[in-house]
This record gives sequence, C-alpha cells and structure tokens, in this order.
Amino acid sequence: MILYNPHDGDAIVTATRSSPKHCFLMTRLGDEIPEEVRDMRAGITKHCKAAGFTVIDAGTRVTGRDFLLKIWGLIAASPLSVGLLHPKIPAKTQANIYYELGIAQALGKETLLVKAPRSRVPSDFIRTEYVNYDQHFDEKFSAFMQSLPEQADHYETVADQLDRNPVLALDYLRRAYLITGEPRLHEKAKSILQAANIKDRARNSVEQLTAAF
Amino acid sequence: MATKGKSGSSKGSDVVQVKNPRTDHYVKIDRAAGKIVSHKKSEGPYKNIPVARKRK
Repeated sequence: MILYNPHDGDAIVTATRSSPKHCFLMTRLGDEIPEEVRDMRAGITKHCKAAGFTVIDAGTRVTGRDFLLKIWGLIAASPLSVGLLHPKIPAKTQANIYYELGIAQALGKETLLVKAPRSRVPSDFIRTEYVNYDQHFDEKFSAFMQSLPEQADHYETVADQLDRNPVLALDYLRRAYLITGEPRLHEKAKSILQAANIKDRARNSVEQLTAAF
Repeated sequence: MATKGKSGSSKGSDVVQVKNPRTDHYVKIDRAAGKIVSHKKSEGPYKNIPVARKRK
C-alpha cells in the first residue's frame, strides 16, 4: 500500500501502524453530542466489543501533530471504519464523515454506514452498505461483524494465489491480519518476501513497508 | 501463458477462482500473471475453473 500525504502529495515512507481488530468510528465528537447519536454509538460499541473489536475515534490518540494526518493514520491502521449519521449531526461534521469514509474505501478497509432511518445519503454512497438504526439494527450490525472473519479468509486466499505479485499479496495479507490479528500471517508475509527475493530491498521500500504489519 | 485447470482441483492451474463473501460473486485470478482478471457478474462459479483454497 502506498500512502500519499494529503498536504504535500509526497509518498509516506514510514511504516503505518497496525491496529488489528479496531473499528474507527466516524461521528460527532466533543461535548454537544445529541442523545440519539450517543445511543447509536453505544449500540455500535456493544456489537464491536462482542466481536472482539475495540472502537476508536479521532479523539482517541493525542499526537500534538496534524489532525488530518492523524485521522489518516488511524484509518490506515484499522481494518474497519464505521460512519454514524443522524440528522442532528451538523452538516460540516457529516461532510467530514463522508470524506473519511472515502479515505477508508480507497485504502481497502471494511466500511459501513450506520444511519438514522430518516438520514439520506449522497448519491456517491448509494452503493455503500448501510444499516439503519431501527428495530433491526442489532441483528444486522451483528451479522456484519460476524461476516468479517470470512472476509479475512477471502483476503488470505487471494494472497495465496498471488505469488507472482508479491506487493499485492502482502497487501491482501495485511488486510486479513488487521481483521483477525493472527500472528501466523506475519510468517506468511515473511515467506512471500523470501520467495520473491525482495527481502534485501530498502527498509522503506514499498514491499518492505507493505510487509511491515 | 495461463492455462485452465480441471474443475475441482486448483493444484497446478494457472487460472483459479475464489468467492468474495462481500459480493457473493466469484473472482477469477490468473496466478501466472499475478493478477485478478475478472469478477463474475452473475451468480455461481465460472465453468471449468477450479476454486482455490487457502494454503496452510
């Protein structure tokens, strides 16, 4: 995975953190959070916890550095990004949520929108999977979380077929690892590097960075 | 050049398929070329293309 700094357009040549089994939640933060939004967040957190996932948001880590870069880093490090939408969330915040959802999709993350039934999504997100926060929420969100291991299995299977394309294989393995957190996938990544004879490349080469999950 | 293997066994086949659980559709992969070559639009697997399994 090649990440480009959104500010200067140059490639980021340091390893991205890995936060396996983490869910990056995109929602209204701060003190003025509507009660309904708090309820929705609690529902998401409950099901993530049941699936062994930790919910984080833009306020989880304090870096003292650029806020947007921090958000990029948190999204890149996590396997799952969930956007929470409610009509009481200000339009500016909703715009940020959609922007972050776009980043997550471009980085190959699992994404889901959880929305109030009367929230309308922009046309670009019509094909994005969503769950309404209604009487079926528990069943549907839980089913989504339970589907993630199978998706990780798929990523690993695809990686296994791509010996001739080691960077892509490594990126698929990384996606599998972020969902499952299984250390054995590090060994598979090492094997790919060895078989492709690229383990001597620079430590910040794309292949080495991709394998460093 | 990629070759098609017999259905049911992916060993030695250059072209295989896997099912993407997100879409429930099959994806064809050319191992020799190292790339995903197509996504099946309709339900069910591609004919005469072995289904790949995860390696241990």
